[in-house]
Amino acid sequence: MHVGLEHYLLVSALLFCIGLLGVIARRNLLIIYMSLELMLNAANLAFVAFSRFNNNLNGQVMVFFIITVAAAEVAVGLALIVALYRRRQTAHVEDLTTMKL
Amino acid sequence: MNAPLMILEIAVVLLGLVILLADLWTPPSQKQSLGYIAAAAVGLILLGSFFIEAPQARYACGQMYVMDDLALYFKRFFLLATVAVLVMSVEFADRIEAGISEYYALILFALSGMMFAASANDFVLVFVALELITVTFYILTSFQRSRVPSLEAGIKYLILGALSSAFMVYGIALVFGTANTTNFAEIATGAKAISAKPIFLLGLLLVLVGLGFKIAAFPFQMWAPDVYQGSPAPTTAFLAVGSKAAGFVLLLRVLFSAVPEVTVSWTKLLMIISGVTILYGNLCAVPQRNLKRLLGYSTIAHAGYMLLGVTAMSVAGSYAILYYLGGYLFTVLAAFTVICVVMRAVEGDDISAVAGLHQRSPLLAVTMALAMVSLAGIPPLAGFFGKFLLLKAVIEKGALQPAYYWLTAAALIGVVISFYYYLGVVKAIYWSEAPADQPALQISKPTRFSLYGCIAGMLYLGIFPNDMVEIALHAAQALKL
Repeated sequence: MHVGLEHYLLVSALLFCIGLLGVIARRNLLIIYMSLELMLNAANLAFVAFSRFNNNLNGQVMVFFIITVAAAEVAVGLALIVALYRRRQTAHVEDLTTMKL
Repeated sequence: MNAPLMILEIAVVLLGLVILLADLWTPPSQKQSLGYIAAAAVGLILLGSFFIEAPQARYACGQMYVMDDLALYFKRFFLLATVAVLVMSVEFADRIEAGISEYYALILFALSGMMFAASANDFVLVFVALELITVTFYILTSFQRSRVPSLEAGIKYLILGALSSAFMVYGIALVFGTANTTNFAEIATGAKAISAKPIFLLGLLLVLVGLGFKIAAFPFQMWAPDVYQGSPAPTTAFLAVGSKAAGFVLLLRVLFSAVPEVTVSWTKLLMIISGVTILYGNLCAVPQRNLKRLLGYSTIAHAGYMLLGVTAMSVAGSYAILYYLGGYLFTVLAAFTVICVVMRAVEGDDISAVAGLHQRSPLLAVTMALAMVSLAGIPPLAGFFGKFLLLKAVIEKGALQPAYYWLTAAALIGVVISFYYYLGVVKAIYWSEAPADQPALQISKPTRFSLYGCIAGMLYLGIFPNDMVEIALHAAQALKL
């Protein structure tokens, strides 16, 4: 079987949807955060595939930017989740209800 | 690479690093006054920006970065906002238990992100600039990390912010795949051939989701009230002014420089978003008792008003947005500076904290009342003339498409609703008794100066709008509408 652009895009769209589902359906902050990373990687896969099939290297450069930014985001995000855990002994979104109408 | 073009951004980043280093040699008792040094230096950079002129667009980094009148307008806007935010942070410093110099430095790094966003001419720079702003704001919102509301605001902003940037990146990937470029000018020249492709449109829609989140437009507004309420007051002010304006400059650039044809076909969608955002923000603000949360909802409504200018699809609409942002800058910063001073001894930011403020401090009372009146859009203040320009731009288009009249009606209903809660704050200030055992309010000299500046700005833009209209018109013409 010949693997073409559409196969890569399909996998990338699937990854994106799985990530989105995880963000919406799961209740643990760490799992939500992993799902968010999955969504970013779906975009990375799409970039690399487009870059390869359109013969345009700019897409792969963009992937480096995305990976770097995602690393920064993870560093800050995990620090925040740890800080919250220290204060509240919880990493569940249901417990984030201090501010409600 | 043409680095001299980016001199302002480079100066801001260097200043941030200098503040971080200076922290090492500054005795703890004097660390908070580093904020005044930072504010003065940002003020100098602002002055320096007036020696730069951009009659024609100039490019750097292979057309990724553009320097034109629009970019320059927004850079000055962000620099001015940062001066006031830094002064406010020094006022706030005693409520941040550790790392106040980092707080100043992060504000400066976020500022550099906003200034890059003002010059974005490529989706790569859009993404990097937006992330630079957002990631620094994750830290700024949760800076009081022993207070649970602050942490909670940080986590909420983190999850929803990362979600919106994931949407945006995926959208950019789809745009890149169909257009085979990420440059705005190249997309615009090739737009005829690709704008019919559904994948391209889907990608663009996802990019708009990311930008809609930044400006807190309906239906991407759900983070705003919680984050505005929980964050330290200077962060909230910076979010409301800087981050929102960065979203708007990117929105203008993407919609009108990269894909003008698609934007015209999406007019209806933008009109619905604008109308619903105005009504949602104003209706939800009505029952609020927490002052920061109330302003959070009100800034959602203001994003809706500014979207009116986008839906008009004309130079008149765009310069109205720029003018409106100018007035909004002074108004919101004035309101948050007052909140910052008044809430020093009070937990909870309730409206009752400003009750009888005119007996405790006439200056703060006048500033807050003027800010509320300007936000409500009552003449002769800046907010009134801004709303007038926006509505004028929309009504001018009404002859072609009657839907614009409905949009105008929605906006006017929103303005009328907003009178209720804005004037409620004014009523609390002037017609309620102050609680007996309140400590005296101390206003430091720089804060006083910044309050006078905000009052002068609100009155000047409202009474003598011509100069500002001229500048805004000049900047909006860079968009080639």
